[in-house]
Amino acid sequence: MELQLELKSQASSRRLLPGPAKLMVNALMLLFTASCIIPLLWIGYSSLKTQAEFANNILSLPSAPQFGNYLEAIKITNMLQLSWNSARVTLLSVIGITAISFVTGYITARLDFKGKKAMIFYYLFGMLVPIHALLVPIYLLFKNFGLADEWYTLIIPYIAFNLSLPIMLVSSYVVGIPKEIEEAAAIDGLSFSGTMFRIIFPIAVPVLTTVAILQFFSCWNEFSFALVLLKDESLRTVPLGMSYFKSQHSTNYPQLMAGMVLSMLPVTLVYFTFSSRIIAGVMSGAVKG
Amino acid sequence: MGKALRPKGWVLLAYLLPGLIIYSFVVLVPIFSAFRYSFYSWTGGPKKTYIGIGNYLELLRDEVFWHSFLNNVLMTVYGLIGQVGLAFIFALLLMSKIVKLKGLHRTMSYFPSTLAPVIIAFLWMLIYNYNYGLLNAGLTKLGLGNLVQSWLDLTGPIVLLVSIPLSWQNIGFFTLLMLAGLSSINKEVLEVAELDGATGVRKAWYVIIPLAKPTLVVASLLCIANNMRGFEHIYAMTGGGPGNASSVMALYAYQTSFLRFRYGYGSALAIAIIALTMLMILLSTLALKRGENQKGGAY
Repeated sequence: MELQLELKSQASSRRLLPGPAKLMVNALMLLFTASCIIPLLWIGYSSLKTQAEFANNILSLPSAPQFGNYLEAIKITNMLQLSWNSARVTLLSVIGITAISFVTGYITARLDFKGKKAMIFYYLFGMLVPIHALLVPIYLLFKNFGLADEWYTLIIPYIAFNLSLPIMLVSSYVVGIPKEIEEAAAIDGLSFSGTMFRIIFPIAVPVLTTVAILQFFSCWNEFSFALVLLKDESLRTVPLGMSYFKSQHSTNYPQLMAGMVLSMLPVTLVYFTFSSRIIAGVMSGAVKG
Repeated sequence: MGKALRPKGWVLLAYLLPGLIIYSFVVLVPIFSAFRYSFYSWTGGPKKTYIGIGNYLELLRDEVFWHSFLNNVLMTVYGLIGQVGLAFIFALLLMSKIVKLKGLHRTMSYFPSTLAPVIIAFLWMLIYNYNYGLLNAGLTKLGLGNLVQSWLDLTGPIVLLVSIPLSWQNIGFFTLLMLAGLSSINKEVLEVAELDGATGVRKAWYVIIPLAKPTLVVASLLCIANNMRGFEHIYAMTGGGPGNASSVMALYAYQTSFLRFRYGYGSALAIAIIALTMLMILLSTLALKRGENQKGGAY
């Protein structure tokens, strides 16, 4: 691939920079991209080695793939339970975030009402507030209300802390929808709610999909709230379970790596399936933010 | 929107309330309750002793806290260089006609941003590992075997060492943010600049940087906010060690509350962290605004 790239960039030489300089720039970018990926590939193939083989040469490829590492990692971490907990919490949080940000984003885009500016500012504030500073009071609050250590516990902070950006994304998307559509719907006798859910919702599906995917990452990967709000071992999420796996089995590196690969698998699959949409979504969020 | 479509007040409220309630419960209420708890000496039991500003007086003299704060500031500086700065250069390169395989660069460099901070921390612990680390293996291969060491046990450069994984994970995000900002710059302005003979570095310095200032400001503020609240990477990578060398404010607050059971003092720390973070963001906003009036760069 590198060779092909070099040939291509030489072929398209332009007047601005001499060929060698272009090669240098391209080599630099490739190096940067490679540095983002090589450590992960290393984890990937090392997870298939025996412990002795890994200790002997940490860079070599596995001579015979050891899938047993994966079975062990699944058993030790209770990965199926962890994944189920993560999936349940993530799915419900993402549905909640998408629903609330759709309704709130639509209303802020289309209606003027008292306190609207204050509300938008209030939601933006959530992006700047150092949430990890609030772990103590949040823990005490959840304990007082009897909301800690339940299967639904994490859904509450996951929704709350992920509302700011989605509301902005939805709101700026709705601003781009022609108002005539809603006016026509009103003339046909559709109520406000009817217009919102039956006319605007289908139009907003692309932005809501982007919101859902981005918040999937955020919820699946979350660690701090899980650490503080869950004591019950059977409720642990994947990142939390991995942190205990690490401290208990830190000497068997191939097994640890197998566990890491397993815990990365869902986000990796989602990312490479939707990467162009995700990147477009982040970029549009960046412009609007 | 026409009057016909305006919903009744209570309908509007019913739609907005669920979001506001859940958001307030987790964001606003804890800030107030932390403020209240911060005036008590309290270990979590039934006995709560009012001690006025005692916790805050202790906080002012608490060397570990201020050391942690300085670490946060240092990490922010490293972040501004390693995330915002490098991302800006990469975005400029990705905007130019020279670079090939742009899609590949964008897709691969953003990938680490989608991984859990805990996993990123494990990955880099393995990279820094003395016996089995990529870093030491690489140094040996390069004939620099005398540099081989147990990296995360170094007290001196520890903040830099733990900042590298943070930059590694976030640089793809900031590159996308910069690309978005740069691509919204009017193409005609750039063409005019090129006609006037501004190319390459000169074009970047005199034309693109001033025009990209809003993006650079937003990126810098995000970077500051991220680094001031940093917790997960440090928790998983070093736990604040060796000693307290790599401790950060949020981690210290966590340890104070949940390992030493000092909920009152932990709450005072929470209030201090929020106040200091807001102060940092305010000061840097002012500084960036002032820099805007004086000269080109946002740095």
